[in-house]
Amino acid sequence: MGRQYEIPIGAQHISLLEPLHFKFTTENEKIVKTDANVYYVHRGIEQACCSKFKFRQVSFVVGRVCGLCSISHTTAYSQVAEKLLKIEIPLRAKYLRMLVIELDRIHSHLLCLSHVAENSGFEALFMKTMQYREFSMELLEAVCGNRIQYDFSIVGGVARDLKPQVAQSIMERLKKFVPQLDELMDIYKNNWTLSLKNKGAGAITKEDAMRLNVVGPFARAAGLAVDVRNETEDLLPWKEVGFEMVTETTGDVYARNIVRLRELYVSIRIIENIINGLPESALITETKAFPDGEATVRLEAPRGELFYYAKGNKTQVLERLKIKAPTFSNVAAMTEAFTGNEYGSAPAIIASYDPCLSCTAR
Amino acid sequence: MNLASYRKKSPWILHYNAGGCNGCDIEILACLSPKYDIERFGMINTGNPKQSDILLVTGPVTKRSRERLVEIYAQMPEPKVVIACGACASTGGVFRGMYNCEGGIDQYIPVDVYVCGCGTRPEQIIDGVVQALGILETKTKELEESVRLKKETVKEGKQINRRNIADQVKPAMI
Ligand code: SF4
Repeated sequence: MGRQYEIPIGAQHISLLEPLHFKFTTENEKIVKTDANVYYVHRGIEQACCSKFKFRQVSFVVGRVCGLCSISHTTAYSQVAEKLLKIEIPLRAKYLRMLVIELDRIHSHLLCLSHVAENSGFEALFMKTMQYREFSMELLEAVCGNRIQYDFSIVGGVARDLKPQVAQSIMERLKKFVPQLDELMDIYKNNWTLSLKNKGAGAITKEDAMRLNVVGPFARAAGLAVDVRNETEDLLPWKEVGFEMVTETTGDVYARNIVRLRELYVSIRIIENIINGLPESALITETKAFPDGEATVRLEAPRGELFYYAKGNKTQVLERLKIKAPTFSNVAAMTEAFTGNEYGSAPAIIASYDPCLSCTAR
Repeated sequence: MNLASYRKKSPWILHYNAGGCNGCDIEILACLSPKYDIERFGMINTGNPKQSDILLVTGPVTKRSRERLVEIYAQMPEPKVVIACGACASTGGVFRGMYNCEGGIDQYIPVDVYVCGCGTRPEQIIDGVVQALGILETKTKELEESVRLKKETVKEGKQINRRNIADQVKPAMI
């Protein structure tokens, strides 16, 4: 038995993108207990969405909940508003939404992977992954007009059409990206130095993952097959465009890396299918109705299940909007999975959770 | 080369998110990546306020992060430059008026460069940082200037006050 020390990490720390505070109780360098404090960036978006902004403006505001998965937020809100308005959006708009969500997933997963590499002390791999990630930002800019904060989904459809040249350049760039992804897969899988830091670190069992209600790549790495894309068909036709479930079994940092990389292959295939089979139709359904009643929507963001609840009362302003972000579901498991690990591998474990505190705190 | 030129050729960056949406943060990260490569200006991202010269802040100041923001600012050694990255760091942006937000970081700490855009592009951030380097240089000069040389000479009657050393130095300079 050694003495117990408390080591804080955050709120400002080199390995953290966002203000997040962990307090580790360590004993002989081993973490025995963790406290997390995630609400540094609470801004009060939900309240503002129900008072300051009209329901058509809200889709732009909720995009600012999180810059990494802004398209997931805007799409989920648009869907919930469409349910309240009781309209069906054109098929082409659905496909374009899926296209941007998948492009966003590529950039988000690569960012997370590079962050894991950096926090494991592998700076060169961080640079390499960031370099390969840049193509997805350029494509997103070509499709939506901005590198982040796309504001692509609006209530009733999408804001922009996909030009044929852009579609062609997406196909070309994706072809170039596949060998690069193979290379990354090779490094993350077989690099010996990285495996020392990643294999066995931050592991969580399937039962714990089930008990603690984990979502997203975090759960899929532990062998839990949860993916909203697999479960819902009514709003976005994921199965039609070739979605496939990816799971690993070990549940450690290594498995999370591999899940993310393998999901990128799925994303690439989905994007190619979407562009090849893009249906012709209008982009937006116009309506003069006002939101009425209650509705919920689930959507698979890059980090897991995103949940929206909205309630309307036949006026321009919503009565209630509730956002439940994927990281919020994962916080309990995040603190649990640290137990028994070396303190030195904590930054890599934090990065591998891919926490998004702006989503959590709103 | 003296200290000032080192400071200009290799400023270190500290990044703090005061409640933004991560959008501008990932663009700062993209600046460090090979495509934009902010290291060609000698900049690296440090996590330590005591070693850094430039503070990059994103986000409107939320009520919980403002103490940390001021603390970090106070810990940085002079001369220091503050850059507000993004619309919401400059003015509050879309979050202005929400109950847990303040409108922009300049309500708490002095800001030297404002970078606009929601979210900012990496090119804009690099432009802002390069502007900040100029400001850092003038700040360094101001800091290193002798206060005594600027003093008015004090004369009592016709006699120069011997205790005022500035008087002795000034004629020699001319
Ligand atoms: S300026 Fe826009 S993109 Fe940047 S942090 Fe604020 S809301 Fe996010």
